Amino acid sequence: MSRLKKLLALDQRIIFLLLFISLAYPILNPIILPMAVQDYSRMAFEFAESIPPGSVVLFEGGNTAATYPQTGPGMVAQIYHMFTKGVKIVFFSIGAEQQIWTQKAIDEAISKLPPGVQARNGIEWVNLGYIPGGEAGVGALANNIRSVVKKDYFGTPIDEIPLMKNINDARAFSAVLWWGGSEGSIPYGIRQIAVPFGIPMSGSCTTNEVPNYSPYISAGQLKGLFGGVRGSAEYEYLLRLPGPALGQAMATNLGGLLWLILVVLGNVFYLILRMRGEK
Amino acid sequence: MIDPDYLGLIVGSLVSIAAYTTLIGDNPISKATENLYLGILAGYLFATNWDYIYRNAVTKVQGGEALYIIPLILSLMLLSRLKSGWMWLSRYPIVLSIGVGMGLAMRTTVMADFVQQIQATLLRWNSLENIVMILGTATSAAYFLFTTRPTGPYRYVNRVGRVFLLIAFGVTYGQTVSFRFELVIGRLVDMLRPDVIWYTAGFLIIITLILAIGYKTKRIEWYSAK
Repeated sequence: MSRLKKLLALDQRIIFLLLFISLAYPILNPIILPMAVQDYSRMAFEFAESIPPGSVVLFEGGNTAATYPQTGPGMVAQIYHMFTKGVKIVFFSIGAEQQIWTQKAIDEAISKLPPGVQARNGIEWVNLGYIPGGEAGVGALANNIRSVVKKDYFGTPIDEIPLMKNINDARAFSAVLWWGGSEGSIPYGIRQIAVPFGIPMSGSCTTNEVPNYSPYISAGQLKGLFGGVRGSAEYEYLLRLPGPALGQAMATNLGGLLWLILVVLGNVFYLILRMRGEK
Repeated sequence: MIDPDYLGLIVGSLVSIAAYTTLIGDNPISKATENLYLGILAGYLFATNWDYIYRNAVTKVQGGEALYIIPLILSLMLLSRLKSGWMWLSRYPIVLSIGVGMGLAMRTTVMADFVQQIQATLLRWNSLENIVMILGTATSAAYFLFTTRPTGPYRYVNRVGRVFLLIAFGVTYGQTVSFRFELVIGRLVDMLRPDVIWYTAGFLIIITLILAIGYKTKRIEWYSAK
């Protein structure tokens, strides 16, 4: 077997090891490479900036243990952004696990707030917790909140929460911020809230889902999108709120570079073998 | 008393290493981790969903709102799948939930996923971006005309459509690879924290030793990629 053939038949475990090293190294020794802010992130940031102070936004928190390290830092940044602007937030999650991570993001954002910025539970924000039923649940929530949820995440009856006093359907919200993680749920928000109620919406998802939602941005149904850890890093950068996402984005860059080299080398070796007439 | 968050990080480090051993090949450690994860997740989901049903249906029935007995009965009918002779009963709640979901989605799908998407493609031919968008959309859609053979001028439309589709698949592949990296990085960030890294190193050594002994004594079968 020729050397090229041996290289092409490289044990996948060696590739895994190389990838592990390339991903772990930047975490242990942070490297900051130049990074341009993507259009989708800039659009989403500008949309968030345009939300008027004093208004109320609906916020879907769809991160799980797997996706929180990627889009969680961006979610924390957006909650922080809204509170510092004086925007009130009604949170909910369409997954049982997600509601825990949403509350974690709220707590993290509140812990970072500068002195003087208020974020009181029930007044500046409320977490409605888990709303089951997927898209049907979102549709029901948009039309009649009290028909799907009676108590918030902490068990407080909705009717006793000051922020919810005049809110019972999607018309009360000036914007929808949909942090869907890898749920694939952004179309639920578009179909059940943004389009029927005419409420502007921006989103966030994991990197692999970004291509799926590009058509919604082109059509203006989504005002912007933060994709994966890079989207989170860009939010932190635009907000000037240093966080963990930037370092992680650099690790993704290095891993991606190694992957690219492997793909190119694999194809070059394969072409050489074909030109030599070897199979 | 140890901080529960810190304990979670340590346990998370151990479980992550155990789960990643599946990259070497199937082994008892990775299998045990998978089973542990599924068990915990199933238990948690059961408890959370029961809590929701209890708060939103059971308490209402107890409070005299008799109509809420219907969703409770439908929920119980779902459990009939556990016995093969009664399985047909579970089809009714499934049909109902699919029907409601479809109906709700279709209500606005025409506007959100058809009309507004088509409108977004009706662009002026005044920039390269717009031209690429129009050509890409039209030729990619034309590629799926399976009722016509790709002959004559349509052959070129078909080929251009295929190129656009391949580029789109390439982008999706690249984004998927990046997503997988981010999943690993998310775990590594916690595992390599200065206050956790020594536990991670310790767990790594212990698991490596167990696997090495297992492979050496042939109690665990070595997976060959070839």
